[in-house]
Amino acid sequence: MRTPGRQDGDEAELIERSRKGDSEAFGVLVERYQRRVVGVAMAVVHDQDDAIELAQETFIRAYENLSKFESRSSFSTWLYRIAANLAIDFWRREGRHVVLHGEDADAEISKLPTSQGDAFKEVSRSELSARLKQALEELTPEHRAVILLREVEGMSYDEISDVLQCPRGTVMSRLHYARTHLRSILKDVAGS
Amino acid sequence: MMLGAFEDSELEPNEMQEVAFHLARCESCTGILADYSTLGRNLRSIAPEPMLAGFSSAVVARVDRLPQPVTARIARFIRRQADAVGSGVAWGGAVAAVAVATLVLITPYAEQFANRGTHSTASIARAEHGAVPAANQLATADEPTMADNDSHADISRLESENH
Repeated sequence: MRTPGRQDGDEAELIERSRKGDSEAFGVLVERYQRRVVGVAMAVVHDQDDAIELAQETFIRAYENLSKFESRSSFSTWLYRIAANLAIDFWRREGRHVVLHGEDADAEISKLPTSQGDAFKEVSRSELSARLKQALEELTPEHRAVILLREVEGMSYDEISDVLQCPRGTVMSRLHYARTHLRSILKDVAGS
Repeated sequence: MMLGAFEDSELEPNEMQEVAFHLARCESCTGILADYSTLGRNLRSIAPEPMLAGFSSAVVARVDRLPQPVTARIARFIRRQADAVGSGVAWGGAVAAVAVATLVLITPYAEQFANRGTHSTASIARAEHGAVPAANQLATADEPTMADNDSHADISRLESENH
């Protein structure tokens, strides 16, 4: 991933050409960031088709608002922010999942076992996959986004903080909650 | 929270060291850390690789359908011409297009300007003619002048009187 706040000359030129209406230059930027933008959307909505639609919308919004883009943050972070915002809005609009909030979430955490080693050794692959996907669905989009951006997209805490526009401490606490919740679900699968 | 951040290498060096010392003597935390690590591997293994064939061309096609300012459209036209037939010809075409546009826009004003110019020239000529008739005579020496015409009339009158 490119360092936030920095752009190489090539990228700055592509952005400038895109600003002047050069859609082919913009196409190069799309090629460059499409996988990661889809990944960010996927982290929130957890559905590939929706994520691809949202990623397309992200690039269109970005193109339309290139004049507002200032080089204070990196272009990629700016794109990922648009993707995350669109995906969270979409999820809230379309949301139909069971999600743990506030006190429910805290109660859930307090019930968790605090010891044990590799809890997932005994779980079959397909069962584990199915249960993990379901467990991800049960998280809020913010919690799911944080853990998937970290584990799947490999983003640093600072990058996640930039993309989701929340403090680093919030990233850490959401990550802790998401990990603890997923671990508890998988422990249940292992124990059953 | 420290364990997760340790797993992600997101702690300060002194904190990393502190957690590492703790892990060396705490089986419970070592177990949790192992679970986090396994969880991460599992999450990566179930993440689908997005199907991105044709994605960027679809975005570019949508971008091309967006309303754009005239300047952007002209720039894009020139760029595409340059790609298609070479930049020299494209720029030649662009210059020709600008010349034609200039001609079309300026012609009515040019005509007005030309007419105004003709009137001015005629006025000057009239003024010169009145002021310096001799100059006119010199300029049209081969043609009969007013003076010549008068002479011919006088001769004709004399001849008719003689008859």
